[in-house]
Amino acid sequence: MRKPVRRFATGLAVWLAVSALGCVVLARDELRRLRDAFETDARIAHRLLSQRAVQHDAVLGTLALLQPAGTVERAEERLPSLYAQIIGVQRRDAGQVWPDPAMREAEAKSRAHKRAVLAHADLAAARYQLVLASEPASFAMQIDLRAAVPWSEWPMPPETSKVRLALEHQGQVLLLQPGRIGEGGWRFDFRKHLAADSQPFDVVASRQVSWSELPWGEMLAWVAAVGAAVAGLVALARQRAGRQRAEELLRLGQVGRLNALGELAAGMAHELNQPLTAVLANSQAAQRLLDEDPPDIGTARSAMAQAVQQGRRAADVVGRLRRAVERPDLSQQLTAVALQDAVRSVFYLLEPEFNRCAIAPSLAGPSASVNVRADPVAIEQIIYNLLTNAVHALEQVPVTERELVVGVASHDGIGELSVTDSGPGVPADVLPRLFEPFFSTREKGLGLGLSLCETLAQGMGGTLSAAHHRPRGAVFTLTLPLAST
Amino acid sequence: MNAPLSPLIHLIDDDEAVRASLALLIGTIGLRVQAWSDPQAFLAGFDRQAIGAIVLDVRMPGISGLTVLDMLVAQGVDQPVIMLTGHGTVEMCRRAFKAGAAEFLEKPVDDEALLEALQNAVRQHVKSRERHQAGREARERYAQLSEREREVLGLIVAGLTNKEIGRALDLSPRTVETHRANLFAKLGAESLAQLIRQYAALVERQDGVP
Repeated sequence: MRKPVRRFATGLAVWLAVSALGCVVLARDELRRLRDAFETDARIAHRLLSQRAVQHDAVLGTLALLQPAGTVERAEERLPSLYAQIIGVQRRDAGQVWPDPAMREAEAKSRAHKRAVLAHADLAAARYQLVLASEPASFAMQIDLRAAVPWSEWPMPPETSKVRLALEHQGQVLLLQPGRIGEGGWRFDFRKHLAADSQPFDVVASRQVSWSELPWGEMLAWVAAVGAAVAGLVALARQRAGRQRAEELLRLGQVGRLNALGELAAGMAHELNQPLTAVLANSQAAQRLLDEDPPDIGTARSAMAQAVQQGRRAADVVGRLRRAVERPDLSQQLTAVALQDAVRSVFYLLEPEFNRCAIAPSLAGPSASVNVRADPVAIEQIIYNLLTNAVHALEQVPVTERELVVGVASHDGIGELSVTDSGPGVPADVLPRLFEPFFSTREKGLGLGLSLCETLAQGMGGTLSAAHHRPRGAVFTLTLPLAST
Repeated sequence: MNAPLSPLIHLIDDDEAVRASLALLIGTIGLRVQAWSDPQAFLAGFDRQAIGAIVLDVRMPGISGLTVLDMLVAQGVDQPVIMLTGHGTVEMCRRAFKAGAAEFLEKPVDDEALLEALQNAVRQHVKSRERHQAGREARERYAQLSEREREVLGLIVAGLTNKEIGRALDLSPRTVETHRANLFAKLGAESLAQLIRQYAALVERQDGVP
């Protein structure tokens, strides 16, 4: 059997392909979502840090602007208590010079750029110093970078977040949150200058997405769903193929039976026709010989003897045939059969036939099953033949007048099944001959159906009868003894 | 009819009882019967020249009656064939007639039907043999005519007078008259009507005159 294997292989291939495709889409979707989240977080962190840097510039600028008012001294001393990140503010009064050459250089640069300039930066220790040149006094501000990070507004939990975030400046690195950077998987990177020229630090963020972070659950669910769908389709296809095969077998069986019947009839005709031909020819030859003048009595006598012998030969053929097709005794294999079940089973068999002829058969009777003593196959055969006959009858009346009722009843230890149709009915002269073998009113009928049904019914200790139905149609009634409970 | 010329019926059936009874029946109307149990022996040994008919059973072991019929037709056997069958179908009947069977009868066969079919067949065979014989004689006589006589015959059959024939063949009416007398003698014709009836078909076939 090549076909089922191929169907299985195709199903497997489709399952794998659709599963893989779906998983790739799911993984890419998840990675895009993670990247978006990472970039959003990194941008927020960058913006928050930039705001702080700009704030530092503003604080220094304010100091420089306010100094002529004379309240400056106190203001610059109050700053560390106002801003946690400001460790201290130094001042170079007018006429003085910064003792530190780096600060002197920074002041000169500040004067040239007209903005604060970085003097010392020790990122490892999270410290740096900003110098702003102004007149008459210049200011320098010491800042603690760690304290500058606005943790309260931070977009991620710094301890547990998987994002590594650091500030970098000329090779120095201040790690703000360690994140979790491993091997393998996918890596997202983000690097951007702080938006304050005075504090030229890079915000560097990175995120390592490991294999384990892929949406395994969803992917597994998808694979399972696809597998179930494909398996369902394969099963459906197999079921359809099986049904087709069953129908084919049924058809073949019918054709085979018809062929066997035809062969039997042909064989029977030949076997019987030979002796009958001899009987007829001998008898007629004898008649002619006796009619001659004078009659040839001797030859006529031997012709008659031949005829007798051939008559016996014909009888032998019939006897042999009977023995060959003798049915096993049905009364040996009777079981309890529910009439309703048998009817439903035959309804199912004939469903295509009913649909073709637009007939809606109904089953009338008690809801409790009527169990009769019968052979299950024989009883279905009888019901099948009766219903087929009814369909043939109903085909002869208009569609709207087609009625087919199967009734089931029980009384006095007898189970009764009746098939009533609204067809043209059985002519009165035909009714008494209905159960004769080889009697048929149908063009192509063999005339064996009802004869067989009657034989089967009697073999099971039952009866089969036919009657007119008013106002029109025929009713066939099968009775069988009820099964003892 | 004397005995050797009495029509001969060949009866082929594998069943001995059928053979014997049918032979007896056919014999009651004075026909000779030769019965064969084996179709092959029949094909090899029967007298093809005799006047008569063939009665052939369809269903025989080894070789079907229809096949035997085909072989007979292929060999140009001119005896009419009556087919007998115990289980005839329309298709089988159609095939038999198409192959050239004269009659198709179902077993068991009634004496009237069989004997009438046989008598018809024999009559038909005798007639066809006679037609055949007459045709052959006419052809032999026609062959004795000279080229010129055939031309004259063709024009006579076409309905021309002696004068018109003379003009058509550039002959004097006297010469035409001589040819005419000669060909009447050679063909053994006693009148113009008989001449035309017997030879018109031959002239048309040989000379292609429409």
